[in-house]
Amino acid sequence: MLAFLCKRIFILIATLFLVSGVIFLVLRVIPGDPAQIILGIQATPETLQTLRHKLGLDLPLIVQYGNWLGGILRGDFGQSIQYDVPIASLILSRMQVTLPLAVLSIFFAVIFSIPLGVYAATRRNQVGDYGVMLFSQVGLAIPQFWAGILLILFFAVHLQWFAAGGFKSWGESPLLALKSLLLPALSLGLIRAAVLARLTRSCMLETLGEDYIRTARAKGLAERVVVYKHGFRNALIPVITILGLQMGELLAGAIIIENVFHLPGLGRLVFLAIGQRDLPVVQGVGLLIAFIIVVVNFLVDISYGAVDPRIRAGEEGA
Amino acid sequence: MNRRTSIWFGTMLITLALSLCGLWTGEALAQNPVYGETLTVTLSAEPPGLDPTTSPAATIKRVVHYNLFEGLLKVDRTGKVVPMLAKSYTASKDGKEYTFALHPGIKFHDGKPCTAEDVKFSLERILDPKTAAPYRMYYEGIETVQVVDPLNVKITLKKYDSMFLFNIARGDAVIVPRQAVDKLKSQPIGTGPFKLAEWKRGDSIVLVKNTDYYLKGIPYLDKVIFKFIPDPSSQLAALKAGDVDVIAYDMAPENVAALEKDARFKVLKGHTTTDVIMAMNHSKKPFNDPKVRQAITLAIDRKAVIQGAMSGFGTPIGSHMDPTNPYYVDLSGLYPYNPEKAKPLLAEAGYPKGFEAILKLPEPYAYARRSGEVIADQLSKVGIKLTLEVIQMGQWVDRVFKNADYDLTVMGHAEPFDIEIYGKPNYYFRYSNPKFQEMLKKAEEEINEQTRKKIYADIQKLIADDFVNVYLFVNPALPAMKKEVQNWWKDYPTIAVDATEVWLQK
Repeated sequence: MLAFLCKRIFILIATLFLVSGVIFLVLRVIPGDPAQIILGIQATPETLQTLRHKLGLDLPLIVQYGNWLGGILRGDFGQSIQYDVPIASLILSRMQVTLPLAVLSIFFAVIFSIPLGVYAATRRNQVGDYGVMLFSQVGLAIPQFWAGILLILFFAVHLQWFAAGGFKSWGESPLLALKSLLLPALSLGLIRAAVLARLTRSCMLETLGEDYIRTARAKGLAERVVVYKHGFRNALIPVITILGLQMGELLAGAIIIENVFHLPGLGRLVFLAIGQRDLPVVQGVGLLIAFIIVVVNFLVDISYGAVDPRIRAGEEGA
Repeated sequence: MNRRTSIWFGTMLITLALSLCGLWTGEALAQNPVYGETLTVTLSAEPPGLDPTTSPAATIKRVVHYNLFEGLLKVDRTGKVVPMLAKSYTASKDGKEYTFALHPGIKFHDGKPCTAEDVKFSLERILDPKTAAPYRMYYEGIETVQVVDPLNVKITLKKYDSMFLFNIARGDAVIVPRQAVDKLKSQPIGTGPFKLAEWKRGDSIVLVKNTDYYLKGIPYLDKVIFKFIPDPSSQLAALKAGDVDVIAYDMAPENVAALEKDARFKVLKGHTTTDVIMAMNHSKKPFNDPKVRQAITLAIDRKAVIQGAMSGFGTPIGSHMDPTNPYYVDLSGLYPYNPEKAKPLLAEAGYPKGFEAILKLPEPYAYARRSGEVIADQLSKVGIKLTLEVIQMGQWVDRVFKNADYDLTVMGHAEPFDIEIYGKPNYYFRYSNPKFQEMLKKAEEEINEQTRKKIYADIQKLIADDFVNVYLFVNPALPAMKKEVQNWWKDYPTIAVDATEVWLQK
């Protein structure tokens, strides 16, 4: 287990190093000089040069990269150009929106999709199954931002139960903060649920067709035990894998949903920062998202063991 | 008419008269401002910092200009240049010396007095290359700034410049405190009627009333919150749900009709200074040929563009100036839509079957993307086949603006009074006409107001006759708000969202 962990951590660090290089280079290759964007289209060449020097953009690329990486190793992500505050504190405050949003939307995705998927699988080709498949088909077809707008129109404009967006900070009122994340998490979660329900259904069907299920039934076990103990646990593995992969998609989806609900989250931060060529912010957030995805995948790998004892046994044997 | 009906008739008349009076007094009462209250205003973009002097971003001026920072002069809501921090000014006969008398008792938000020394400091700071002020060129005509006494400051110009007073009223020339100048980006300290209370980055900026304001009686509001909502449908939803009171100036035109049906809201329909043009690259064939440019101009139906792209809002223009400008002349009828005349012109220029070109459209601007689609359709009817390319703003700046690597592009020029860009041969149209440059210089040096007006009219006509670009329309200002919001700006002759004299009717 220790060797396994060491290997994973080494891969994690190597991945992040690689990602940092790619992010840094990509941002230098795309057209759009930060100094020009900050100073606008009327600025004179001398003014641009002065600002480039101030921002350290006139240094050789390798030196800029080294400075950035060195700073991160010391825990210093640098200063945001547009906001004029340390990036670490900026990211920290934005995480308080995006992370709960992601977790909440996964929660919604799971509580809707897995029961629905299992239900559909056990009632294959019956009305219930068709109903679930219809829901999932519709869910797949709806773009997230549109789902968000529909939820706003119904719950905020029509019923006036929720604000039409915005975020109350956790410090002000944890309850209101949670409430302001509910609709966005629902619009992210429901659409994830559509994908996951389909996946759960097909995995369940596949597992229920296995020989050991026939054996279990032949043993005379109750149908409930067959489905949940023997079928469900085995069907869960691909579902968890996809759920882990979706984490990355979720953080990307947050960019759109945060714009629709005007939440001050990471997605909006990076969206604005790209437009303003606030490069240190884009780099910092990019690296952080890569870090989150790598860590989540690491956790997914570990969770297989929890679900399926065979995987645990396999590792101990290795 | 018997007695009874006449009494009834009389009563009706009196009632009618009274109700009319009621209407009138209601109207009169509406002119009596109410103090207090919080106003929440939504803007689509958050400013990158809050210092209007070191960044050209219009988003900064929309929050801070007039509200937090003030200059010696200002452009008022009708487009006139009027005193602000200066209560008056005098000019020498040759127009090279201006003496500004400040209001007594002006204080910065940190309590320190604002005097002639600060004026001198602020203007010299913009002129200092080390400040890297993006609009330094507007102030380069200043020779010296002298402090006469704490309340009087004298500015001497190198030569007379008719644009000087207008430039001094710009948001770049606001007066900033010597002691806090390095932190303006995040801790703006000005002299305005509101002070910064909090900037929740990514969400909102909260301003509170400056109780020490040197003009007595204003502002009316206790608090102004600028909330940043990028998506137009979300803005509308927030207004309808009661989260915000005002959509500052740019409601999406397609939503106007629906909102006006709702009795709780009103939409003001005004002008901005954003001239939307389809720029043509004169350094590239076939756009170097005036005949081709004329054909393109004649083949575009501005009214249809305004209808299709802006739901009918926006004023057609025939040259590069907007109707809020005092020098504006209406040339929108000079070269009207006439595709039949366009075809022979193209043939004369050697393109009887038309040609193909790329129209680059900046991604952030819906007006540009939509106008591009309508234009592509219209030009296809005279044989010009356009490929639409939607590009990121950074790319637009790099490729189109800096390197003139484009055929055609649609862009809104937001700067007020920016006809001078046609005098720069290196500007991205690559238009170089010595006659224009000479006339522009004359206009800027002309002291006599009437003569100057005449020259500005002539140069507007000149760039129209040269078909430099296709002048499409002026972007509409469409502020939308709750009925209770009073005294909001309708037109936007300068870049500011001013809440100084706004109040909420109870």
